[in-house]
Amino acid sequence: MSRPDDLVAPVFAEEWGRLVAGLIGWCGDWELAEEAAQEAFARAVEVWPRNGVPTTPAAWLTTVARNAVRDRLRRRGTEAAKLALIAATSDDEPAPPSGFPDERLRLIFTCAHPALPMPGRVALTLRTLCGLSVVEIARAFLVTESTMDKRLVRARAKIRAAAIPYRVPPAELLPERIDGVLAVLYLLFNEGYSASSGDELLRVDLSTEAIRLARLLHRMMPEPEVTGLLALLLLTDARRSARTEHGEIVPLAEQDRSRWDRAAVDEGRGLLADLSGPPGAYEVQARIALEHDRARAAAQTDWAAIARLYELLPATPVVELNRAVAIAEAYDVQLALGMVDQLEPELAGYHLFHATRADLAARTGDLTGAIAALDEAIRLAPTGPERRLLARRRAALTAE
Amino acid sequence: MKYFLTHVIEPDGSWPEDTEQRLDDWVAEMDHRGVLLAGAPLRSDVAPTAVRRTDTTVSVSDGPFAETKEQVAGFDLIEAADLDEAIAVAGAHPTLGNGAIEIRPVIPGMPTPVPREPRADRERYLMLVCWDQTGDAEITEQGRPGDEPRPMDDWIAYAGERRLHGWQLQPPAFATTVRRVDGAVAITDGPFAETKEQIGGYDLLEVTDLDEAVAIATAHGSDLIDLRRCAAEVPSQVGDGAATA
Repeated sequence: MSRPDDLVAPVFAEEWGRLVAGLIGWCGDWELAEEAAQEAFARAVEVWPRNGVPTTPAAWLTTVARNAVRDRLRRRGTEAAKLALIAATSDDEPAPPSGFPDERLRLIFTCAHPALPMPGRVALTLRTLCGLSVVEIARAFLVTESTMDKRLVRARAKIRAAAIPYRVPPAELLPERIDGVLAVLYLLFNEGYSASSGDELLRVDLSTEAIRLARLLHRMMPEPEVTGLLALLLLTDARRSARTEHGEIVPLAEQDRSRWDRAAVDEGRGLLADLSGPPGAYEVQARIALEHDRARAAAQTDWAAIARLYELLPATPVVELNRAVAIAEAYDVQLALGMVDQLEPELAGYHLFHATRADLAARTGDLTGAIAALDEAIRLAPTGPERRLLARRRAALTAE
Repeated sequence: MKYFLTHVIEPDGSWPEDTEQRLDDWVAEMDHRGVLLAGAPLRSDVAPTAVRRTDTTVSVSDGPFAETKEQVAGFDLIEAADLDEAIAVAGAHPTLGNGAIEIRPVIPGMPTPVPREPRADRERYLMLVCWDQTGDAEITEQGRPGDEPRPMDDWIAYAGERRLHGWQLQPPAFATTVRRVDGAVAITDGPFAETKEQIGGYDLLEVTDLDEAVAIATAHGSDLIDLRRCAAEVPSQVGDGAATA
């Protein structure tokens, strides 16, 4: 006999989001939908090892979950619940087959609604679409379970109380609302990617969840910016396993490029190849990542191409800082240093500003200036691994 | 679904020449669509009056309920299918370039007098009932404040015909604030300002003078009530039934 987890886990990964999305559409109650989905999977863990996996697990789960919704509504017994119950029982059509139209699209857009606070959007996405438990999400964001639970309760309560619509937005709202969804996925990915490595074992892999969701969105809605974001996540994630060594950060130039995930690079490259027309911000960042990924050695990086790509992004201080780095590599360190100095008023509190300045100063021979800048960078660095990386650089400078 | 819109503006904002005209157009358009149930700009030349109550005293003072950068300049009560429609209605409002609009869902179930024409010989005051809502005590999965009976019956009877309409609002945690940033509508979660006391409900009063409004506010029994004189006529279709254009 198979272990319950082996039977149910793959179906859970595939069907959780779809099940919850369908249930919300059917009964209109987010919490009830989640509870019922949870109950349906709990039943599956019990029943499937005994009776085998049903031929259509999705339909089986939907039937069990809908019954769970009805039971709960009946037990609640208030007027409102009775009304909902009537609505819920009058609609007894069989569960929709997997595939289009996918209810998860409505769920993605509603979770990312701009009237919800950003932390609530992220938490709701992980809970309802990915099926992560409250404990897992709380750990991923280093908050207590009760804090995370409150966040979820509040987000769901606002959806209900303020009547946030459960739908894919109409055409005129779609561009900005897609941006909102992508912002959630991007934040999720970065949260996972930059997570300090110390407690990695305890934390669910947010980057992987973000890529999974971006793939799903891309399959259902292959808009250029969605394609661009998926490419960016893949092309960045491709370098992940080479990015740290024993908990220490390995800078891009020193990474073992044979450890980069070539399949992910190829997939990202393929996505970008399909795009034409004026590039969006995610696509440009993806193309920058690809320039790094395709260089066989750090010295072969086409920095001139990267500098040109940065020109396509809105000239925020951080973009200008990165463009200065590319210009230093491709053309002229002095020119780059001048650009960086001009950013000081805006970036004085950003550790990478000082780290970049230190690097450029050292290359012009200004060791004193470089060490002073590194000290400032070390003071401002937010995590231990980053502080240690900067400290190693400082030690290397003073040894020269 | 009904939403209460609080309009706030920058006190020293500069206004394009045609603002007045665009305001009239917005009112006409929303009235025509059956969206606008009630609303009025507030008199900017008359300071608000705050009625504060402690266990033993009631004090009346000059000034708004909370010191905020942006000033409350008007209100609207709208009927919209969902929050996206409410956001679109607020997003089209001409004052948005110089301030913000807070959108708050209304808790249904408040008794409302039969709508009637405003009386020409009376003043209208917007009464904002405020309290400290910093705790999230009201937000639970099952908590549906609209289902509970309301202890305000005595006060509603006392105010009688002088109360044109009024609703309790969902807590500030369910507020959404709309601004215009670089020509685009920006949507954020939460009220327009993070003050300790927040608007929890409103009533529109039709009275002879400020003293009568203060008397009604005092009888209400809330800790803090903010009274503001309205500047113009208001349409009034505020019952629980469907709006009629």
